[in-house]
Amino acid sequence: MSTGWSLWVMFLVVLNLGITFGLFLWAPRAKIPTRPDGTTGHVWAHGTILEGLKNLPTWWIVFSGSMFAAAFIYLFLFPGFGNHKGALGWTSHGQLAREVAANEARLDPLLDRFRLYTVEQLAGDPQAQQMGKVLFEDNCAACHQRSGKGNILVGAPNLTDGDWLYGGTGKDITTSIHDGRSGVMPPWASLGADNVKNLAQYVLSLSGAPHDAAKAAAAKPLFSTCAACHGAEGKGNPALGAPNLTDHVWLYGGTPADIEQTIGNGRQGHMPSWSTRLSEDQIHVIAAYVYHLSHPVDEDQP
Amino acid sequence: MAYKHFEAIEKHAGLLGIGIAIMVSLGGLAEITPLFMEAHSVKAPPGVHPYEPLRLIGKDVYVREGCYLCHSQMIRALRFETERYGHFSTAAESVYDRPFQWGSKRTGPDLARVGGKYSDAWQRLHLMDPRQVVPQSNMPGYPWLAHNTISAEDVQARMRTLRKLGDPYTDAQIAAAPEAVKGKTEMDALIAYLQGLGIANEPAPSAAKPATTDGVAGATP
Repeated sequence: MSTGWSLWVMFLVVLNLGITFGLFLWAPRAKIPTRPDGTTGHVWAHGTILEGLKNLPTWWIVFSGSMFAAAFIYLFLFPGFGNHKGALGWTSHGQLAREVAANEARLDPLLDRFRLYTVEQLAGDPQAQQMGKVLFEDNCAACHQRSGKGNILVGAPNLTDGDWLYGGTGKDITTSIHDGRSGVMPPWASLGADNVKNLAQYVLSLSGAPHDAAKAAAAKPLFSTCAACHGAEGKGNPALGAPNLTDHVWLYGGTPADIEQTIGNGRQGHMPSWSTRLSEDQIHVIAAYVYHLSHPVDEDQP
Repeated sequence: MAYKHFEAIEKHAGLLGIGIAIMVSLGGLAEITPLFMEAHSVKAPPGVHPYEPLRLIGKDVYVREGCYLCHSQMIRALRFETERYGHFSTAAESVYDRPFQWGSKRTGPDLARVGGKYSDAWQRLHLMDPRQVVPQSNMPGYPWLAHNTISAEDVQARMRTLRKLGDPYTDAQIAAAPEAVKGKTEMDALIAYLQGLGIANEPAPSAAKPATTDGVAGATP
């Protein structure tokens, strides 16, 4: 704040306190004319109530006076009087830093313990579960749902089924959260609408789902293009995040229409990177929570 | 001041009203006027640039649809806010926001640093019908944005107006604007705007909390 505005604020503070303090000193001593009967002449309720004259109660004067004292003490200790920073040097940012430090100090023993364990070991820890659940619901549930069952509309995988696009070890999960993942299924509409429909039938046949055998057979030679990522047998490739097509897990839905849509238009699923939003410790705890979702039997370790 | 003056104030509602107005305004004059008058001296820090054409339209859609009625873009310097949303907001981040989106009305979460937190596909589904991704959400859907196209002349007019107000758009930027919004809908614009929030204009990391820059792939469509 410039000196001019600082002086402006000081002036207003002095003016405000001056007016109110002046009234405080003057009002109890003011000579109020009274009538012979001791009333002031103010009448209420059509003259049935006459206003008398009483001194201000002592408690009121003491309380009111102490409020002025409080104002002076406050303006001395805290910022408020122009550019005066206050004897305590208080700032809202300083208070935030202290509160963050205090919270970290409170959590450190817990996080120190968590760091001793791998994600797999930590998955059975009740305290890590509790912290992980809160972090998951705050950050991950928007796509993966609070239950962790995912959302086929955004291609957010179900985290509870033991099927993993990019690998399901603690390390894989940590990497997925830390760096994010980007799915890159290209669109194949250029193959022609019939070929896309036939390929969808072939993909359905891979998992033994009901399909049109003739159309599937017709598309079999075309699948060599898909095999580059999904493998010759359609079992997928965790290094690329290419889904296994032979199981019954469908990232974007498993109806013929869904699959045709996926093949024709491609899919670009995107898991954001959380390394800049969450600390390493938080990611470790979330990874343990996610691991736990599909390994609920590991309750008794570590 | 003698008693008769006091009595005059006490007996005339108009005089009393004026006296009250003067005393009440002292606080506002001290707290609001200096900040109000010094706001124009806030300069854009390095890395904070005027909105690109598509994001500019997105920002105006955001304002037009009244998103600010439920969402603030102001992370306060309080631990439970910085833990959830990231580094607290600074005035310098909002120099190109007209009107600025600070506030305390939080029916929905703060959006000051929402950029990159969700994928573009998530944002699109969420804007079409929020219940598709957040079953318990009470936010309305905005499906019509996906049908509204953007007029190139309109973008250029907005950029020229903002330049008159002091935003440093160059002639080249204004000339390139139609290309940037070609074939885009208001939905694309709003998503581009949201995906940039808190990314382009992040202040330097402070001791309070690690900064939340997020240069994720696919952050802009």
